[in-house]
Amino acid sequence: MTAGIRTESLTKQFANGVTALRDVSITIAPGEFVALIGRSGSGKSTLMNIMGGLDTPTAGSAYFDGEKIDYKDRKRLIVLRRTQVGFVFQQFNLLPTLTARENVAYPLLFNYTPRMERDVLAMRLLTLVGLEKRADHLPHQLSGGEQQRVAIARALVSNPHLILADEPTGNLDSKSSAEIYQLMRHINQVQKITFLVVTHERELASYCDRTIELRDGTVVA
Amino acid sequence: MDCLRLSARQLRTKRLRVALTVLGIAIGVAAIIGIVALGEGIRSQAIETIQTQSDLTLIEVHPQTDQNVTQLITRARVDQLRSLSHVTAAAPVFTDSYATKKQTFLQILAVKGDEIDQVLRLKYASGEVFSPGAYEGVVGADLSTMLQRNEGIRIGDTFIAMVREYDVVGMPSDREVSLKVVGALGGREDQFDRVMLIDMETAALIRGTDRGYDTVFLRVDDPDQVFSVVDRITGMGLEATGAFEQIRAVNQFMDAIMIVFMLFALFALVVGGLMITTTMITSVYERTREIGITMAVGASENDVIRLVLYECLLIGIIGGIAGGSLESCSLR
Repeated sequence: MTAGIRTESLTKQFANGVTALRDVSITIAPGEFVALIGRSGSGKSTLMNIMGGLDTPTAGSAYFDGEKIDYKDRKRLIVLRRTQVGFVFQQFNLLPTLTARENVAYPLLFNYTPRMERDVLAMRLLTLVGLEKRADHLPHQLSGGEQQRVAIARALVSNPHLILADEPTGNLDSKSSAEIYQLMRHINQVQKITFLVVTHERELASYCDRTIELRDGTVVA
Repeated sequence: MDCLRLSARQLRTKRLRVALTVLGIAIGVAAIIGIVALGEGIRSQAIETIQTQSDLTLIEVHPQTDQNVTQLITRARVDQLRSLSHVTAAAPVFTDSYATKKQTFLQILAVKGDEIDQVLRLKYASGEVFSPGAYEGVVGADLSTMLQRNEGIRIGDTFIAMVREYDVVGMPSDREVSLKVVGALGGREDQFDRVMLIDMETAALIRGTDRGYDTVFLRVDDPDQVFSVVDRITGMGLEATGAFEQIRAVNQFMDAIMIVFMLFALFALVVGGLMITTTMITSVYERTREIGITMAVGASENDVIRLVLYECLLIGIIGGIAGGSLESCSLR
């Protein structure tokens, strides 16, 4: 159920010459809840995108559950995103035309999971995040905290080994932020799913097992 | 199915844009259907007119010279023609020309009475068919009127026909032959209104030589089979003529017209396709974020393309149905 992730000398340079990551080598053990902190522009999101197979490194390697990620194998990256990694974004990124339940079930559409099964799973996860009564609401009918809960449920629906959360509370008030962190921590502890949470708020890092700090693309702590 | 439903829901969020695209496609489709229907209507009307006004199942077969080789019509050829499927009767004939003493031209068709009757289904305005071997003739409706008016020759009268012959040095001389008009055909509105039918043996005796056949008249049982019979005749190296040529000419003309119409239709289709493309490109650019999310949750590029193509398909189907309905209403 759980999986660790490790990077070795990851470097990312963009086409405009900006180097976002320099020789980043980190290890996250299976079942850990790790905060990736740093200022804006420090390379946190870039690192997260590379670890989740959304972006490719210029140099270096990443290992998921001990297996080297082949960034040239697009099909393998799709499978990685589809079955082993869940994403939570700062902007929630729910599809505006779908209800909460449909948003949660959306990733399963590409697994060809039958509709009934999708609905059952989605409702189970909405219940887990406390939104079973809001299942048929569209995103604009939900508060920011509720939308992020839906996004967390969507990240969980494929039964992933790792959840990468990029500033999951960046658009939320402090109360909602704390609730979201508590929810993620609860899921981490109960389901033993590995979490890597990108944040620039040091106080929220207190919910985590440990923190990794990036500065100008380099790990400093 | 789920993807299709998602695409349909996506389209509902851009109702105005989709409606305008659908309207454009509908007008294009309606124009195509209208143009094709108009062309086919003209073709159908023209062919129907030909069929009602012409004897479509009558085919004339003539000898044909091809690369200096003339395919003559022999008795064997006639039997071959008669045995073709869908040919119900065949009447070989040869033509000759006589004149009255007052120089009224007589186009002679030398026939066998029973054969020509089977092919032409002759109807007599007065009198009856000639007797085999007798110096008798049956005149067409127009010729009957002309002989009566210019020469005073009526049914039952015997008149002198002048048969022109040429000697070995080419000097012409006219031989007189007595012929009795025993019948007059009813008006047919074709070439047989202006001819005189006489028995083939008699005509050969008058001319003094065996002329061979000039033409074979064939009767086909079904108008739809005429072209296949014609193809087999031309395959034998013979020439076929008849009312079917008018249909062929109409078809050739309409085919040319339809090609032009189809170009317009193609243009309309391309415009419709471009409208869908523009709508979808705009839609895709507006939904870059959504597409990113979709790929982040595990969709492949093909999955995303499929979702977009389903939207195109839906717009196309709705536009097509709307266009068809629009045209159906206007045609009604």
